[in-house]
Amino acid sequence: MEFLKDLIFLINYLLQGTGVTLGVTLIALSMGFLFGTLLAVMRVYGSKPVARFAAVYSTLIRAVPVVVLIFILFFVIAKIVDLSPFLSGALALGFASAAYQSEVFRGAILSIPAGQMLAARAIGMSRLKAIRYIILPQAIRLAIPPWSNEAAIVLKDSSLVFVIGVPEILRRAQYVSARTLEPFIAFGAAAAIYFALTFLANRSLDFFERRYRILM
Amino acid sequence: MKRRSSILILFIIATLLIAGCQQQAAAPEQGYLGTIKEKGTLVVGTSADYPPYESVDPTGSFVGFDIDLITEIGKRMGVEVEVKDMAFDALIAAVQEKKVDVVIAAMQASPEREEKVDFSIPYHFQKDAFIVAGDSTLALNSPMDAAGHSIGVQTGTIQEKWVLDNLVPKGTSENQIFRYERVDQGALDVAAGRVEILFINADPAQKMADDLGLKVALVTSETVIGGQSIALPEGETALKAELDKYINELENEGFIQQLQEKWGIP
Repeated sequence: MEFLKDLIFLINYLLQGTGVTLGVTLIALSMGFLFGTLLAVMRVYGSKPVARFAAVYSTLIRAVPVVVLIFILFFVIAKIVDLSPFLSGALALGFASAAYQSEVFRGAILSIPAGQMLAARAIGMSRLKAIRYIILPQAIRLAIPPWSNEAAIVLKDSSLVFVIGVPEILRRAQYVSARTLEPFIAFGAAAAIYFALTFLANRSLDFFERRYRILM
Repeated sequence: MKRRSSILILFIIATLLIAGCQQQAAAPEQGYLGTIKEKGTLVVGTSADYPPYESVDPTGSFVGFDIDLITEIGKRMGVEVEVKDMAFDALIAAVQEKKVDVVIAAMQASPEREEKVDFSIPYHFQKDAFIVAGDSTLALNSPMDAAGHSIGVQTGTIQEKWVLDNLVPKGTSENQIFRYERVDQGALDVAAGRVEILFINADPAQKMADDLGLKVALVTSETVIGGQSIALPEGETALKAELDKYINELENEGFIQQLQEKWGIP
C-alpha cells in the first residue's frame, strides 16, 4: 500500500513536467512542419541557389547534435535576442526538426507523379498555385507515416532542454532518483508517461492517415 | 556554388563576432554587483541532483546545504535568491554568459575552472571517500592502494582528474575507469559488482553506502586540493569581495558549522 502511494505520488510529480514536454514538442513540431515544408518545396522546385541553400541547411543541421544546437541558441544567439531557456530549447529542437521534416516532405513530394505538375501548368495554373492546391495536399498525406516517426523522436528529444535548466519529465525523474536512490522506479515511471504520450500521438496520426487516405 | 557557401560561413562568423563584442556593457565601480543589487535578485545556478548539498524535495523546492547557505548570503546582501537548476556541465558556461549570477554546486575551484570564472573563498573543505561492495575484501589503507583496480568516478569532477593524474601512472588502465553522469549510477554498479571501487566526495558517501548495502573503505583528505567555492563571473572583484565577506562572517558566527550538522556533512 505504502509502495502504491509512493508510486501515485511519483507519477503525479512527473506529470507536472508533462506541460513542458508537450509545450516544447508542439512548438518544435509545428515550427519544423512550417519550415520543413518550405525547405522541401525550395529543394524540389526552387531555383538552383535556393535549392542549394535548402540542401546545405538540411545537411548541416542534421550533422549537429541537438544538444549543441540548444547550447548555441542559449549561450550565443540569446545574447542578441532575449530568449528564455524554454524558448531556446524549443526553437533549437524546431530548427533541427525542420531539417528532418524537410527530408520527409521532399520524399513525399517526389513521390507525386511529375505529370501532375505538367497537367496543372497546362490548364493554366501557376507553379505556386499547383504546389499549393495539387502537390502539397497529396504530399502531406503521404508524409503522415514517416512524420509520426519524427513526432515520436521530437517528443523524446524534448528531454534535452533540461541541460539549460527546463525541468521536464526526465529531469524530474532524475531529481527523484537522486533523492531516493531508486532509479528503476523513477525512470520506469518516466518511461510509462513517454509511452502513453507516444501511443496517443501515434494513434491520432493513424486516424488522420486513414481519414485522409488517397485512394489510388 | 563554392562562393555562395563561403559567404554563408562568413556571415555566420560575423554574427558570432558581433555577439562576442556585445557583452562589454555598463561597468562602474561596483560592476556586476551593482547590477544584481539593482534588480534585487541573485540568480543562482546549481545542479540539483547531489544531496545533501542540493536536491529537490518532494514538494518541488530546492533544498540542501548549499541552498541554505546561499539563501542566507542573499538575505545579507539584501536581495532575493532565485535558484536555477541545470546540468552540471552547463554551469560554468552559464556564469560566463551571465545566464546566472553565481553558481553554488559543491564545486571546487580547480585551475581549469579558474581560467574561465572567478571563485569566492572556500566555504567548506570536504573529504573524498572510496566506496566498495559490502562483502569486498579490498584493503585500502591509502588512496594509492586503489591503483590497478576498476574504479568509478563522476564525469568532469576533481575525483576523475585525480584518478587520471595519480592512479593511471601507477597501473590503472583506461578501461578500468568508469565514468558516470551521476554518482548514484556508480554506486549501483558497485552494488551490482561491475566496478570494484567508487571514488567520490565523502559527504553523500555514507548515506549512499547505507542505502545500497555498500561500505565506505576509506575517507581521506589526501586527494583533496581545494575547498568548495561559489563561482562568479570573471573580473567582478566587488561581487567577490561581497561574497567573501559574508562567507567569513557566517564562518565566524558558526552558521556554516550549524548547517553542516543540519545536513550531516563532515
